[in-house]
Order: sequence, then C-alpha cells, then structure tokens
Amino acid sequence: MRNRLKVLRAERNWTQSRLAQELRVSRLSVNEIRTGKYGPSLPLAFAIARVFGQPIETIFTDGSAD
Amino acid sequence: MASTEPEQACGGSPPGSSRRDIIVAAYCLGWALCFTGAMQVIKSGLVTHRPIAWVVAAVPSIASIWMLVAYTRYLREADELQRLIQLQAMGWGFGGGFFLICGYLLFESLGAPAVEPATLAAIMPVLFAFGIIAGWWRYR
Repeated sequence: MRNRLKVLRAERNWTQSRLAQELRVSRLSVNEIRTGKYGPSLPLAFAIARVFGQPIETIFTDGSAD
Repeated sequence: MASTEPEQACGGSPPGSSRRDIIVAAYCLGWALCFTGAMQVIKSGLVTHRPIAWVVAAVPSIASIWMLVAYTRYLREADELQRLIQLQAMGWGFGGGFFLICGYLLFESLGAPAVEPATLAAIMPVLFAFGIIAGWWRYR
C-alpha cells in the first residue's frame, strides 16, 4: 500500500513527531506507515484522513493497482 | 462510524512517551531482583522461622501482581504498532519457549543432562525479550 504521508506532512511543514502528536500514536508508527512497512488499521487510516482533511483514497492507494 | 476521536481510534499513546516503557522495564527488573533475592534468602537458610520463610516466598508473587497491572496498562495505552510488536514478542516467548522445552524433553529422554524447571522457564522471558528487540529492529 502506497501513501502520500510524506508529501502531506511536508505541505504542512510538520515533523513526524508533530503528526504523531496529532494522531496520538508513536513517532515509530508514523514512520513505519510512511515507509509502507506497516499498514494502519482502518480507524487509524480514518484518523490520518481527518487530520489532513482529505479522503482516505487520496492518501492511501493500493500499490498493486498502479 | 463508532468514533471520530484519533485518541480513541488509534489506541491513544501520546507520541514519544517512553515513560511507560521505562516503568514496565523497571517493574520487570524489580520483580527479577525480588525473585532472585527471595530465592537466595530461602536457599541460604537465613530465615529459619518457617512462617517468615513463607512470607519471603510470597513476596515475588505479590510483586508480580503489580508487574502484570503495569504491563496491562501499558498494553491498553500503547498504539497499534506497539501492540503488534508486543504480540509478536509474546508469540516468541510462549510459542518458542513451549517448543524449545518440548524439544529438549525428547533429548532428555535420550540421555541429555536434566535441566531444572526454573532454567527451562527462564527461556520464555529471554525469547520474549528477543522478540521485543526483533520487533523494534524490524520497525525501527
């Protein structure tokens, strides 16, 4: 699964720690989601979408579909 | 949709809070010291009065309640990745320990030196610790 976390974070000039704080998860989780090593649960994906104010499908895409 | 709050949706661990990790590690260390101390006191025969020896023997069990409560609280407050790491470590600890012990029992029946049950039981926390390190290494 691919994601635009890095881009969205850069647009807001947020550090990983800041995003982790917004999501109330560890910085480790934010980093692992960004690298794709770890796929977030649906509630966490919704939380990420809410924090960035965008629909989930614009943040996360199925890598195999590309 | 059940919840809209990130803290409820994700598990709610404040980022960068290693305080709980330190607390759990301190409890583990405290229990290990408690257990080793009680074992030494009982084996050395320092306590001759039997009721007091029973109290000494009960101390690690009582301390383990605090440890379990702290660990449960840690799991409740951890985020989903931290929980995944803990789950995989538990798999290593219990699964790996169980299979190693069962495997060694076969060797023992073939003449391998007998090992104390306490030594065999120590395999589980060692494998659990290995699982934690492996998890942090994998998701570093």
